[in-house]
Amino acid sequence: MSDSLILNILLLSPLLSATLIFLLNISISGVKQYIYTSLALAGSGISALLALYLSYFSYFENQVFTSHLFTWLSIEDFIVEVALKADALSSFMILFIAPVSFLIHVYASGYMNKDKSYGRFFAYFNLFIFFMFLLVLADNPIIMFIGWEGVGLTSYALIGFYFEDIKNTYAGNKAFIANRVGDFGFLSALMLLFLEIGSGGMSFDAILSNIGQIEAPMLSLIAFLLFVGAMGKSAQIPLFVWLPDAMAGPTPVSALIHAATMVTAGVYMVARFAPLYNLTFDVSLFIAYIGAFSALFAAIVATRQFDIKKILAYSTMSQLGFMFMALGVGAYSTALFHMFTHAFFKALLFMGAGAIIVAFHHKQDIRELRGIKESMPALFVMILIATLTISAIPPLSAFFSKDAIMSALYASGHAPLFLMAFTASLLTVFYMFRLVFVVFYSNTKQVGEANSKSMLYPMTVLTIFSIFAGLLNMPEIFGGNLNMSNWLDIADKKFIVTHFDELMLMSINTLAIIGVIFYTYKRYAYTNTIDKESEHTLVANKFYIDEIYSAVVVKPLYALSILFDKHISNNLIDNTIHNLALYYEKLGLLFSGFENGNVRNYALYMLVGAVSGFIYLYVLLRAAL
Amino acid sequence: MTNELIALLVPALLLFSAIFILLYGLSSSYTKQKGYTITLITLFLSFILSVSTITEKHSIDVLPDIFNSMLVYDTFSATFISLFLFGGFLTLAIAKSFIDKTTYFTHESFVLLLFSLFGMVILSMAKELLTAFIALEIASMSVYVLVGLNKNSLKASEAFFKYLLLGSFSASFYLLGMMLIYAQAKSTNLDAIAEYILHTELHSQLLIVAGSLLIMITIMFKIASVPFGAWVIDVYEGASLPITAYMAGVFKIAVFAFALRVFLLDYITFESIYDPLIIGGAVVTMIGGSLLAIIQTSVKKMLAASSVVHSGYLLVALASVEVNNQDGAHAIMFYLFAYFISAIGAFGVLSYISKGGDVLITYDDLNGLGKDKPLIAASLSIFMLSLAGFPSTIGFIGKFYIFTSAIETGYTSLAVFGALSAFVSIYYYFKVIVHLYFKESVHLNVDYGYKVSLAFIIISAFIVLWGGVGTSLLFDIPGINELNKLTQHSIESLGL
Repeated sequence: MSDSLILNILLLSPLLSATLIFLLNISISGVKQYIYTSLALAGSGISALLALYLSYFSYFENQVFTSHLFTWLSIEDFIVEVALKADALSSFMILFIAPVSFLIHVYASGYMNKDKSYGRFFAYFNLFIFFMFLLVLADNPIIMFIGWEGVGLTSYALIGFYFEDIKNTYAGNKAFIANRVGDFGFLSALMLLFLEIGSGGMSFDAILSNIGQIEAPMLSLIAFLLFVGAMGKSAQIPLFVWLPDAMAGPTPVSALIHAATMVTAGVYMVARFAPLYNLTFDVSLFIAYIGAFSALFAAIVATRQFDIKKILAYSTMSQLGFMFMALGVGAYSTALFHMFTHAFFKALLFMGAGAIIVAFHHKQDIRELRGIKESMPALFVMILIATLTISAIPPLSAFFSKDAIMSALYASGHAPLFLMAFTASLLTVFYMFRLVFVVFYSNTKQVGEANSKSMLYPMTVLTIFSIFAGLLNMPEIFGGNLNMSNWLDIADKKFIVTHFDELMLMSINTLAIIGVIFYTYKRYAYTNTIDKESEHTLVANKFYIDEIYSAVVVKPLYALSILFDKHISNNLIDNTIHNLALYYEKLGLLFSGFENGNVRNYALYMLVGAVSGFIYLYVLLRAAL
Repeated sequence: MTNELIALLVPALLLFSAIFILLYGLSSSYTKQKGYTITLITLFLSFILSVSTITEKHSIDVLPDIFNSMLVYDTFSATFISLFLFGGFLTLAIAKSFIDKTTYFTHESFVLLLFSLFGMVILSMAKELLTAFIALEIASMSVYVLVGLNKNSLKASEAFFKYLLLGSFSASFYLLGMMLIYAQAKSTNLDAIAEYILHTELHSQLLIVAGSLLIMITIMFKIASVPFGAWVIDVYEGASLPITAYMAGVFKIAVFAFALRVFLLDYITFESIYDPLIIGGAVVTMIGGSLLAIIQTSVKKMLAASSVVHSGYLLVALASVEVNNQDGAHAIMFYLFAYFISAIGAFGVLSYISKGGDVLITYDDLNGLGKDKPLIAASLSIFMLSLAGFPSTIGFIGKFYIFTSAIETGYTSLAVFGALSAFVSIYYYFKVIVHLYFKESVHLNVDYGYKVSLAFIIISAFIVLWGGVGTSLLFDIPGINELNKLTQHSIESLGL
């Protein structure tokens, strides 16, 4: 198989299976569920295998895969090629996207079992991974934007999957609209890039080699607008409001789209434009602070949430904040490494939450889910491992990735950033163990239904990944040689931390974490502290952000829309058009007086026409006569 | 088969088939079905023959010893002939239900249809004014009678007489013009006239200039441009629907085939003299047509009036043709194809749902058709979108070429005016779509039957869409590019 063929199949197989499922679903009723399952698993399975193949050759032989599909637009020097390119960064992205997608597909086949919209679900799901691949494999930002919009669209469709309940549709709308704000930034950045250096070609390589020609203020503006796009997709302050609500979708959706893959698109984009951000320190620092505030804010809010999925949603936002902090100080590959480990343990946590939700008939409140340890021991072990991982306990994977972020922040010299990150990471431990201790360590007992194997097996695989994924980027201090960073070969800033400092950091960190775990254990395990926590505090209501947005942004906009609708649209535009049509019709009625059906008049018109033609000729050609 | 043989075979086939039906119609074994089938087969065969010659650029004098260079068979005429024959075939195929349900489609009607096509075929090959006149009259006479086919309808008879009277009147302009040209150029052959114009000064060409204007008036009459086309609404209204479709789609193309040849060969030298006239004609035609179209309550009359507007667009393109820039000519050919397929489709839908009735189909008659008959409604909507020039239909591409050619020639304001008139046209075309989809149904579930007619309507709708978006990216079906290439070959084959 040629290189381009592999890329094409990798990209198109989920699209093909999505199309087939969709066609089956709309044309034939009562299709057997296993047909959908096998189509969906084939689509994502093929691309997962090819993704492994691709990243193998990328990692070991530094091979770059390219595929030119066709020329989309060619208007003078504005040429848009539909081309794919899997360089190290893209290969790295699909290395975790494709297998995790496949695992969640398997999981979803159990989770969605006997759902009446089973086919529709997998059509969207496969379509989503197609767009996700398009996003990370695109050779130019225009094609990337198609993938970017596509994942937004499928995310919208999947959040509002159970559209019979209007609340879900609203949640979908919220996600879509918040993301549109981000997309506006991304699109504006693209247009500016085109205006500035579009003549040099719009592929990533061309853009990144030409950014030197752009003047500094404009470059900062572009960098900022690009990051606005990332804010929307990756749920950072101030565009994060959609993510908690997005948990309205089925849990596999939350696991795949709102934890492991789509929300990392912003991180990917910033990393992709790393050379640009290296030139714009101010914007980079801004990114770091946005990340820090997001991480801290989300971690604080998560400590007072009761919905198991909401806790995880805020946790995702918080972890994304860590990644943006790393990106902001220039530690791109560190951010990507954390994204990599995060994909595994966060997907695992969501899948665990989903398994609990299924077993206990869609209860999601942790206060109602107490004492379930005995009835699901395997699940307990896996969730515990995932929680230890996210808490960054050595030697689990997130220990390496988070520690790398912490030491980068430390070495960058921005003390406030480091302190916020440190606080957020301790809060992470607190809210995650709050969840674990409340749900599993209780005096009361509950027995749920057993989970199906198709849900448990993928979780087992992810547990193993969560434990060992850290090996890929072992720091020097543990005898590793940062394989992943070398592979990615991004324009990282180099931070020098002495071994002593690094060890000190690790030890303090780890000790603090263990301390927090003990504190949480005392507070929540086998007690009823959780029941005493009020739902009406400032924190539990996420600082009233939704209400503030509604008052500051939504309501004025809505009032403005009504104003426009009434006065501009109705009175000005509609009336003008109506009047125009009316007058035109009146004129037509007048004119139709000529069309009176009398042949003699018709002949007269012809004569008038002929005579005026000849008068014209006479006047024009008089001289020649 | 050589091209010369095909050039002879196509008109011969039409003529002999017409005579055969004329005689066979008297026999007792004749049925309407048989006449219909023979006509259809004739049209199909001759279409296949002529379409086989459009792929390459060629130009031959047809039997110069006998015809003395009166007829020329080049890619230009081959393309137009294929268009007429395809149009005739399509009209007839769609009209199957209409013809079956009415009594006045006697065997003479098929004969007249074939005769008129014969006239058009000769007209598009004519390279000489008198031949062209005779061919034009053969076609016109047949069409006159076809208009008055329904003897029992007062409206049809009225339309027939009006058309005949005014048609004869306009023909006299042609004859006078031809005489004036002959008086000065001493020839009626287009090449000879062009030669004469090339080698003399303006003051010894004045009769030709005047004569050409007279001939142009006849052409303007035939394409129903304001102020010569006042007949159009009465006649289109009186004629039965398939005949209206035939006139609006096919006959207009034939006239343009001749107009384009005359214009490119001879008039082009006087281009600067005529352009203001053509522009003036285009403007009043677009205004007048849209004013008339906007007030109609009957869809058929609206289509008739809007066909005037389309003649206006074509005049815009004609004005943009210049000595060394023939983009306007391609635009005309492309637009003719675009208009013809959309108009035949639109009239075809009307004739299909009128079920042979004499009633005028008003907008209200279409109410709720979108729910009852989604396929018909969708096809009609596609034709309306194409006529209005909406993107992704062939009508958009046609208008795009016309307006760009006008802008390239420097008539930007004319192009803007054309675009404005297209904007107005959205009002009356979209009214149809509004009635199709957004009004409560008045239909009791009628079964229109005649799946064949419906199939051809859908095929036309598909062509309209394919012509708008078609590429050879997926399948090798000729699309925009091929059509474009064809029109360029055709114009080049004129040997300018």
